[in-house]
Amino acid sequence: MSAIDLTLRGQAAAVASGEADAGELLDASLARIEERNPTVNAVVETFPERSREMLEAAPEGPLHGVPVVIKDEWPLPWRAQRFGMAEMLDEAEPGESGPYRALRDAGAVIVGVGNMHEAGASSTGNASVYGAARNPWNPERCPGGSSSGPAAAVGARLAAGAVGADGIGSIRFPAAYCGLTGLKPTFGRSAMGGHHMADVTTMIVSGPLCADAADCRLLGSALLGEGLAAGDPSGLRIGVLGGDVVADDVAPEVREACEEAIAALAEASGGEVRRVALPDLDASALAAVLIANGEGLGGFDPQRLNRMSPELTPLYRGFAKYRMLMPAAAMAKAARVRTAMRRRLAALFEDVDVLAWPTVPAVAPPLEAPLVDLPSGTISADEANVRGAGLANLTGIPGISVPVGLSGDGMPIGLQLLAAWGRDELLLDAAEALEGANGRRWVESVPPLAAEQTEA
Amino acid sequence: MATSAERADDFIDGGLASFGIEADEIERAVIGAAHQLFWPGILELLSLDLGELELERNPDLSKAPE
Repeated sequence: MSAIDLTLRGQAAAVASGEADAGELLDASLARIEERNPTVNAVVETFPERSREMLEAAPEGPLHGVPVVIKDEWPLPWRAQRFGMAEMLDEAEPGESGPYRALRDAGAVIVGVGNMHEAGASSTGNASVYGAARNPWNPERCPGGSSSGPAAAVGARLAAGAVGADGIGSIRFPAAYCGLTGLKPTFGRSAMGGHHMADVTTMIVSGPLCADAADCRLLGSALLGEGLAAGDPSGLRIGVLGGDVVADDVAPEVREACEEAIAALAEASGGEVRRVALPDLDASALAAVLIANGEGLGGFDPQRLNRMSPELTPLYRGFAKYRMLMPAAAMAKAARVRTAMRRRLAALFEDVDVLAWPTVPAVAPPLEAPLVDLPSGTISADEANVRGAGLANLTGIPGISVPVGLSGDGMPIGLQLLAAWGRDELLLDAAEALEGANGRRWVESVPPLAAEQTEA
Repeated sequence: MATSAERADDFIDGGLASFGIEADEIERAVIGAAHQLFWPGILELLSLDLGELELERNPDLSKAPE
């Protein structure tokens, strides 16, 4: 096996022990990008000289010499982010973003910039100034958004780890669609410096996308600037919802895989499943959307909107204009919903350690028509996906998506776990317990693209 | 009496005109679709009864509420 096919921690260990040469590992990652990226369009820019300079200067940190992809949401000293857009409405300059510094200080090497959905505005990843990223499990399907490129890159094994950003599920959605583990840390816990909305957002966090929880622990520790220590999730109390769309309006095979995983996690941890209620979850999803939209309005004014580049998609241009019409009263009510949900969650996390429901209610839809078939009918993937994702961003709690199966047509299924504020480590512990419970079957599954070409 | 669709058109066209925002045909269609998607939820949200609730001011989202 080539070192580029090792886990992130395996690559770090191989470089540290001298079994792998960091320069060769970087070359292997660049070669892999050249080989497979035409199929997945995950990486939109490489800069081999800059990467080699990072490697030459890399400290002996926990990620020394390990190639990592970073989302087009973060400025680098040699490159301003484009945010997946033909034109950003905010100013963007090259610079040392928090995630860049975190990676550099951990000894990692940024091998390329990951594609993303235009302006971070969708769970699908099917629109970008660079063209859509494609799902490694089926290039005709959505990779998930908005961290589409980071997920597709790790899924296609172009690199073993990537940094994404999650404003309303934007790490967890693509993790679920691409069969990866993706951690949305507690708000404020991970590096955010240099993000163009760092001063105004109460929703967005940086976080890792990797094959499994142990790799997320390693990369996440770098992004959080503190070790995410492994613990013992014994006796895990798992809260599940009943009679709510996030649990019930779910494609049957997704529901079945998630229910099996929850039962397996309870058994593996010697814990139990508790049915709980969380009223107004649907309102919390809309509240999250309203707050995110409101916080993003800073760079908007009518004249600027009238001057938007025609290269932006009509969907973005139209929605940007509609955002100006959303009523302030709804924003104010959204803030009240945030308070209510935070208090309800605080009470709920006295009784359970984690909440669990499907990350997304259906597997990745086609790129050309991102609709999903649910028991309630056929709706847009965005409308369906936000239901279960907005809560974590609205309230600040951490969340993780863990692969728990494949659909009949071979697409990954993800289970979301949520925990109380600051209990990011518990989510990783639970994810690892779940991996153990299913014999690491799903975290070690490789998309046909990667399997065929690796074997060849 | 205006229909729901007519009221939506009035809201959108009036709102855009008030701001001086121009929209081509495709953008206007997107705005109409967004309105159709969001507005029912916004109305429900506005009428949502959260009971007696003291708003958490400047919440520290990294922590549980006080």
